[in-house]
Amino acid sequence: MISGYLITILITILIYAMLAHSLNIITGHAGQISLGHAAFFGIGAYTSAMLYAEAGFPFWISVPLAAVVAGIVGALLGIPCLRVRDDFLAITTMGINFVVEAIFLYIPFFGGAMGIGGINLPKWFGREMTKPEYFVLILVVFFFLLLLDRRMGRSWIGLAWASIREDEQAAGAMGVDVVRFKVLAFILGSAIAGLAGGFYAHFLTFIMPQNFGFGQSILILCMVVFGGIGTRWGPIVGAVILGILPEISRPIMEYRILIYGILLLGMMRFQPGGLLGAESILSKAFRRTIYRLSNSG
Amino acid sequence: MTLLEITALSKEFDGLRALDGLSFTAKEEEILGIIGPNGAGKTTLFNLISGITPPSDGEINFQGKSILRLKPHQISHLGIGRTFQIVRPFQNLDVETNVLVAYGHRFYPSFWNSTKAFKQPEILREVQMLIERAGLQPYAKQLAKNLPLGFKKRLEIARALALKPRLLLLDEPSAGLRFEESTQLMGLIRQLRDQGIGVLLIEHNMQVVMDLCKRIVVLDHGSKIAEGSPEEIRSNPLVVQAYLGKEG
Amino acid sequence: MLWQQLANGIAVGSVYALISLGLTMVYGILRILHVAHAGIYALGAYVGWFSFRLIGNFWLSLIIGMAGAAVAGYIVERFLYTPLLHLPRIAPLIVSIGLFTAMEEAFRIVAGPHTLAYNARVGLGDLSIGSFHLTETQILILLVTLAILIFLWVFLTKTRTGLAMRACSQDSETTSSFGVNVSAIIAVNFLIGSAMAGAAGVLIGVYDNQVWPTMGSIPAYKALAIVVLGGLGNIPGTVLASIVVGLAETFFIGVLAIPFPRDAVAFVAMILVLMFKPYGLLGKA
Repeated sequence: MISGYLITILITILIYAMLAHSLNIITGHAGQISLGHAAFFGIGAYTSAMLYAEAGFPFWISVPLAAVVAGIVGALLGIPCLRVRDDFLAITTMGINFVVEAIFLYIPFFGGAMGIGGINLPKWFGREMTKPEYFVLILVVFFFLLLLDRRMGRSWIGLAWASIREDEQAAGAMGVDVVRFKVLAFILGSAIAGLAGGFYAHFLTFIMPQNFGFGQSILILCMVVFGGIGTRWGPIVGAVILGILPEISRPIMEYRILIYGILLLGMMRFQPGGLLGAESILSKAFRRTIYRLSNSG
Repeated sequence: MTLLEITALSKEFDGLRALDGLSFTAKEEEILGIIGPNGAGKTTLFNLISGITPPSDGEINFQGKSILRLKPHQISHLGIGRTFQIVRPFQNLDVETNVLVAYGHRFYPSFWNSTKAFKQPEILREVQMLIERAGLQPYAKQLAKNLPLGFKKRLEIARALALKPRLLLLDEPSAGLRFEESTQLMGLIRQLRDQGIGVLLIEHNMQVVMDLCKRIVVLDHGSKIAEGSPEEIRSNPLVVQAYLGKEG
Repeated sequence: MLWQQLANGIAVGSVYALISLGLTMVYGILRILHVAHAGIYALGAYVGWFSFRLIGNFWLSLIIGMAGAAVAGYIVERFLYTPLLHLPRIAPLIVSIGLFTAMEEAFRIVAGPHTLAYNARVGLGDLSIGSFHLTETQILILLVTLAILIFLWVFLTKTRTGLAMRACSQDSETTSSFGVNVSAIIAVNFLIGSAMAGAAGVLIGVYDNQVWPTMGSIPAYKALAIVVLGGLGNIPGTVLASIVVGLAETFFIGVLAIPFPRDAVAFVAMILVLMFKPYGLLGKA
């Protein structure tokens, strides 16, 4: 059977993949810089935790509600945010992260520095789910999220996002309501992050404010950038690689924050499209191989 | 029939009067030339009409209704398309996708409609026709950033056409083009006029203006100094003064 | 009592000015939010501390700290920012964040996670007039920042390079068409801004008698708030905002004793001002 340690790693990576995917919607698809994404992760986690631990709601209600709450907060914060210039947006999203973390830390209602505990895995068929079953559950949900992503990519929404990413003003002149589509990306991205937060809370069984600070936002950003901003699979690949590496290598675990920083800096400097980006070393090598294969036959 | 009515339009930037009490009308099936020395306020005029910036004073009526407080995307919906002086295609998207973005204007306002897939056969056919109309067929799958300048300009026009405009604002379309490219572009613009679209044309190339336009408005320092046929404009001493004054 | 708090507030505010000016100067000329600037501030402190350990002279350690920071700033500009200017602005911003993260970790790995004592003495002695008391380090801060700010003012208003720098942050294309070597101006901009941050690092290190890996974290976002408060890219605005925040922090906590996290004052001030003046105290559209 799969060891407990392995399944824990797998579930963690899966949750991070969902997080990276959700940030990708905001930053990759719609091109809006968000440096405080962990805040929505936290809002989802705390919502789900408190609904379950304090109000007695079952997992099957608390987690979807976590997504809804995170999405609503995303809308409320997004609307004023997105009327401002690029640079202000970066600072504002950072500020939101600090404020949300401070709220969880200082306001006693949220459990303060000790956080919230006593959150269990969901129950079904009269018993508690096992970890492998939980993994499959999240995987299935993620699968549907990816289908949704594909549908969006092929829809007018995806086209509108692409035009906003390329040139906001020209997009407006072409009939795209820029603010509305930006807010849409924000809502979707924060809702999915909230969903991931709900899954996280029930898996970790206790949550603390420190899990949702700026450092966490940087880590998520790193996964997206490393894997490839804007690509469908890039953030997932980024989450998998950056999730696995510290586990299989002690030195990498020790220095992982340094590595994240260097990765962000190095990737953006030399391969801004990420591993799966169109211009990356990997993609070019891949295309060359395909070319050679098709020309030799 | 009158498409656009500009009345006493003014725009002030930090104390500088970019436009001052400008009035004129534009009709359908007509190419109206807007000329004037650099800094006369021509692009500012387009920015006001297309909703990018609000006027300080005056009225802009399109098909009888005021469009003063509308946002750019709402103005596109009403039927005003524009091109930019420095081309702004969506660089990393291909030509077909560029035009699709503009074509989608009829879907964006409704959330339900926006979720539909855009690669429908009828839609792709119509976009294909627009691309052909602009003479861009061989480049349909090329990334916009890889197009030569002349074709980027055609792409700008194709995109504006996808908005099914009644009025087209063209900002210096022939700038940077060689003679034959310019002539071809002029032919395209004439075709558009013949198909019933009204055109406002900002141009520095006098030959293009005199050839294409039956009516011309001349701006200098934000005010209209002359309006009339090409012959009238050519012989108007104020116009000559405005241009010569810049060179002298 | 009031004079005391005033002096304290101005001392704090002037150090904030030293840090924030570099940030606003970089924004003015490159339109980049140079988050890693706080890392250069901390680097200045470490280099200063290290040279003080070797040499034992405060003034020399200050100069060396400033020089180290200046060089680091130059390297960042030349090798990390300038090559990315053609990309959307999110790219240099992410690079900057990555660099800052890496720098803090590098400090921890190289110099250890503990705070290091930077107990430089200059021999000035403290100043006491009645109940008004300035410690030696406070006097140092006031003197050094005053000297640097005067130098900056003279440089920007009276020298050709300074004039060129101000022109560049208005419109670099036009400026280069006047024969100005924009690339050199950018380099000078970073050198000066980084040197000032390095000076701030040394001064704070001496004032608090502490140098530690994450000492740049709070200045990182506080300087951002100050720069936005004063008007992005606006030098007088940044100085004004720095003093305002310094005074506000001192008065709210020291005088009014409001139980409010001191470090949040900058953000609150920024939000309050932005509500009435969306481009900051002295900023323009």
